[in-house]
Amino acid sequence: MVALLGRGNQLITLDDVSKRYPNGTDALRDVDLEIDSGDFVFLVGSSGAGKSSLIRLLIREELPSSGRVWVDGQDVVRMKHSAVPKLRRRVGVVFQDFKLLPRKTVAENVGFALLVTGHSGEEAREETERALALVGLSQRRGHFPDQLSGGEKQRTAIARALVSRPKILIADEPTGNLDPVTSWEIIKLLVRVNELGTTLLMATHNAEIVNALRRRVVHLDHGMVVRDEREGQYAA
Amino acid sequence: MRRLEYVVTTAAQGFWRNPVMSLASTFTVGLMLLLFAFFLATDRGLQAAVGVLESKVELALFLEDDARVSDVLDLRARIEADPAVSRVDYVTKEQAMARLVDIAAKRPDIQIVDTSENPLQASLEVKLAHAQDAPRVTAALREEIGKGVVSDVVDNPQVVDKLLTITRVLSFGGLAVLAMMLIVALFVIVNTIRIAVHARRDEIEIMKLVGATDWFVRWPFILEGMLVGALGAMAATAVVLVAAGPVMNAMVSFIEILPLSFGTTFVWQLVGSVFALALAVGGGGAMLSVRAHLAK
Ligand SMILES: Nc1ncnc2c1ncn2[C@@H]1O[C@H](COP(=O)(O)OP(=O)(O)OP(=O)(O)O)[C@@H](O)[C@H]1O
Ligand SMILES: [Mg+2]
Repeated sequence: MVALLGRGNQLITLDDVSKRYPNGTDALRDVDLEIDSGDFVFLVGSSGAGKSSLIRLLIREELPSSGRVWVDGQDVVRMKHSAVPKLRRRVGVVFQDFKLLPRKTVAENVGFALLVTGHSGEEAREETERALALVGLSQRRGHFPDQLSGGEKQRTAIARALVSRPKILIADEPTGNLDPVTSWEIIKLLVRVNELGTTLLMATHNAEIVNALRRRVVHLDHGMVVRDEREGQYAA
Repeated sequence: MRRLEYVVTTAAQGFWRNPVMSLASTFTVGLMLLLFAFFLATDRGLQAAVGVLESKVELALFLEDDARVSDVLDLRARIEADPAVSRVDYVTKEQAMARLVDIAAKRPDIQIVDTSENPLQASLEVKLAHAQDAPRVTAALREEIGKGVVSDVVDNPQVVDKLLTITRVLSFGGLAVLAMMLIVALFVIVNTIRIAVHARRDEIEIMKLVGATDWFVRWPFILEGMLVGALGAMAATAVVLVAAGPVMNAMVSFIEILPLSFGTTFVWQLVGSVFALALAVGGGGAMLSVRAHLAK
């Protein structure tokens, strides 16, 4: 309860968090981070800096070695195992490797997130259409992932993350393998999602985009937060 | 109820994704269930036979169909003269039949299927004053066999004893074999589901990442296991129903009583038990398998 009190507008809080993997790699060291509701935050840092590791802690895919993590008022570390699914339904994640199912169509991949969390087929269909319209993929609903371009796959993954109307959208390297034009389309989409009220956390290497958008930038280096600026730049 | 639909279709897809494995495990489970059904039926049949025999007298002299009544009455008087004998009753063919019908009517688990012919023999039923005289009296009465009146002498307590022994041996042997088959069936199901889980591991990973509960992940597999069990149970039940007639005839000619058949109550109990075991083994095996995967 102490965690809830005085936490105000913060949707995500990391308090002195460290993560050491079983093989001894220190992915995160003493990380303190607070993200307010409605924020758009870039998480930058070179490859291996710990961006994906931080994201994994937020949906309890991994547990921190030490420190505390709160998401939407809930203690992620100490929550019961049975509370984890509910947490994940409120946090949409676009994974670095998309994680699309090859034998399901675009619409099926998106609707899957609702069907497996107990929503009716009717609801799943409606929300899927809404999410596909939002990401501009309605025309591709019947295509399979291997019939899609990189940008379209990315949009499909974003639609799936958004279909359950999460409070937070986390995108891990969403422009990783995309050309500049497509990258910008994806970014514009994420900005719009943020403007519609979803808190956004985006891990990226893309200096051009970070510098152009002038949003908050959290810089990780060897698992440590080395810079955290309101209208930040991607400084190498 | 799309939720149910999802679980059911996923389970069915899982079954047909690897038909060879699924059918092989269905076959194994079916075989196990067949053994189980046979065991239950034989056990019940023997119990019924013991029940029928126990309700009869101690010694019975079966009479030739063409024996003269005067000879029978003569014999009866001679037996009654023995001080070890307390009473002798003359039971005609018709009386024997009436009595069997009566016994069957009181037992829900057996019924008489054919009363058009009467294969029962007339008999003299001998009640002894002291049970320990049975061997001597039996031996004496056996002398009468082949003299035109007595065709056979049956010492009921002995027959009951034999039947009880058979029942006991069958129970132990059957239970041991059954336990072994149960383990084999469980092993096969665990492996079938393990393969099904492996084939869908990406889907499971995503399900968990988007917030599906463990139970939602488990149900399709548990249902797939139960499907294997249910199909095995159907196969076993079909075999039982087809084989029931011939097996029953063989048993009847072996035990040499009227064609007795199990009542419908018992048949339903049998089918119910087979399906219950099938679903338990299928669902339980699947559960073990998915649990192991989710724990990783
Ligand atoms: N499951 C794991 N087991 C052991 N070490 C890991 C594991 N996952 C990541 N690491 C290590 O932790 C460190 C941080 O990895 P992480 O994936 O968080 O980096 P990242 O910032 O996302 O990198 P990239 O930009 O390449 O995606 C790396 O040194 C990596 O090798
Ligand atoms: Mg990463």
